[in-house]
Amino acid sequence: MSKNFMQLSIEGLSKDFDTPHGKVLALDNISIQINSGEFVCFVGPSGCGKTTLLNMIAGLERPTRGQIKKNGVPVTTPGIDRVVIFQESALFPWLNVIQNVEFGLVGRLEARKRKEIARALLHLVHLGRFEKAYVHQLSGGMKSRVAIARALALNPSVLLMDEPFAALDAQTRDLLHEEIQEIWAKSNQTVIFITHNVREAVRLGSRVFVFTARPGQIKKEFQIDLPRPRDINSQEVVVYAQQIQQELKEEIEKFLKEEVDREWTLKKADFLRPAGVDLGSGI
Amino acid sequence: MLIWEAVYRIGFWPPYLFPSPWEVVKALFWGFQDRTFLLGTLVSVRRILIGYTVSLLFGVTLGLLVGRFKTLDETVGSLMTGLQVLPSICWLPLAILWFGLSEQAIQFVVIMGAFLSIAIATDSGIKNIPPLYIRAAETMGVKGIKLYIRVILPAALPSIATGMKLGWSFAWRSLMAGELLFVSIGLGHLLQVGRELNDMPQVMAVMLLIVSVGLLFDRLLFARFEKRLRQLWGVAA
Repeated sequence: MSKNFMQLSIEGLSKDFDTPHGKVLALDNISIQINSGEFVCFVGPSGCGKTTLLNMIAGLERPTRGQIKKNGVPVTTPGIDRVVIFQESALFPWLNVIQNVEFGLVGRLEARKRKEIARALLHLVHLGRFEKAYVHQLSGGMKSRVAIARALALNPSVLLMDEPFAALDAQTRDLLHEEIQEIWAKSNQTVIFITHNVREAVRLGSRVFVFTARPGQIKKEFQIDLPRPRDINSQEVVVYAQQIQQELKEEIEKFLKEEVDREWTLKKADFLRPAGVDLGSGI
Repeated sequence: MLIWEAVYRIGFWPPYLFPSPWEVVKALFWGFQDRTFLLGTLVSVRRILIGYTVSLLFGVTLGLLVGRFKTLDETVGSLMTGLQVLPSICWLPLAILWFGLSEQAIQFVVIMGAFLSIAIATDSGIKNIPPLYIRAAETMGVKGIKLYIRVILPAALPSIATGMKLGWSFAWRSLMAGELLFVSIGLGHLLQVGRELNDMPQVMAVMLLIVSVGLLFDRLLFARFEKRLRQLWGVAA
């Protein structure tokens, strides 16, 4: 399999939801081609259907129209070649750390082999000392790490991450960015990463897709041609992030009008001037 | 105890209605001395262990089924809640007609008292599992019966534990009520004998015994288990 094989192909995908007020179109005619080994980020306003899209790639939900193909085969059910890392880590509290990591391997490998793999992965995410700990004893960042190790244990060719670091503080998140980049660089895995955080998307992604407000469509695609490892505060990352933010702003406004208040408009805050334009002149 | 003794000393009620703690302790002692209390306790404990085990098996199974199948939920589910309202001792006449004055009749009452609350708790436990757990398991390739054993059952455990605990006290109460109305050897029967002989110390001693046995098993069976669950789920430190 060549590195640039069209691994995931999303073709004219739409999704309706039934609500008490009738059908709501959540995703509208999405088409994306993703190469093997790519790191793709989805950003968009809340409720734009990016999580739904991810769930459909995972096989947890079915599209209303269109289809998803992986290596040419339509995706219809969940499979261990596409593992999801969820927003709230979704670790099992009745299992300890190493049992959580082994979870997907039970019944597939013998116990000794399982333990071996799980240990190696816990070392990879720097939790080697915590294999006997229970979930309630872990911090948010540690939980994210366990969730990553648990997903990696199955060695999926596609890793689906649904805002995995949203609940973490900035320092922890930064550290995990580094780690996930390292892990991704070493493996040949395709990563699809959902986030609200535009800089996070630029830092991690080779491509970033901006989604429109509901119904979710792809508004724009950004190719991030920056060398790795990237620094989240570097000038280049910030410039990309600003461009993406600009695209996103309109959509967030649309979303707010719909969800919060029809009268709502995104006003320019008078007290915050663009620093680059008139730095110091307002003093 | 001191207040009890003090009230006794005041002599507001005649001693044959309100014995002193000392009398009750003596009654306990003599009861165990001539083995009637020991025998009664053993018989009752044996009954509840059998009845409770059966209730547990039935209850958890029924709860799992109702939690899983929508049609069952809509039919049996409402029936469960309905029957739960009925005090279990109300099953006794029916049980006696069905099974006669037998051990089965009393077991039937115990089971009817306990298994519904266990089933209801199991059912609600399953319905309250965060969908995220199930999705996470599915994405890791776990489905069908394995999903039940490895995720749904353990995830519902806190709620099942509550049901088990409730079920235990319901079972114990039903058993005592059943034994009171039913000629047999258990603790409830000893209570009845005490009443018939107008032996207030014995009545109180047996009441004490009933509370102690109930509590003892609660401690032995559930307290640690519950604490551990609370710990794992991160509710208690």
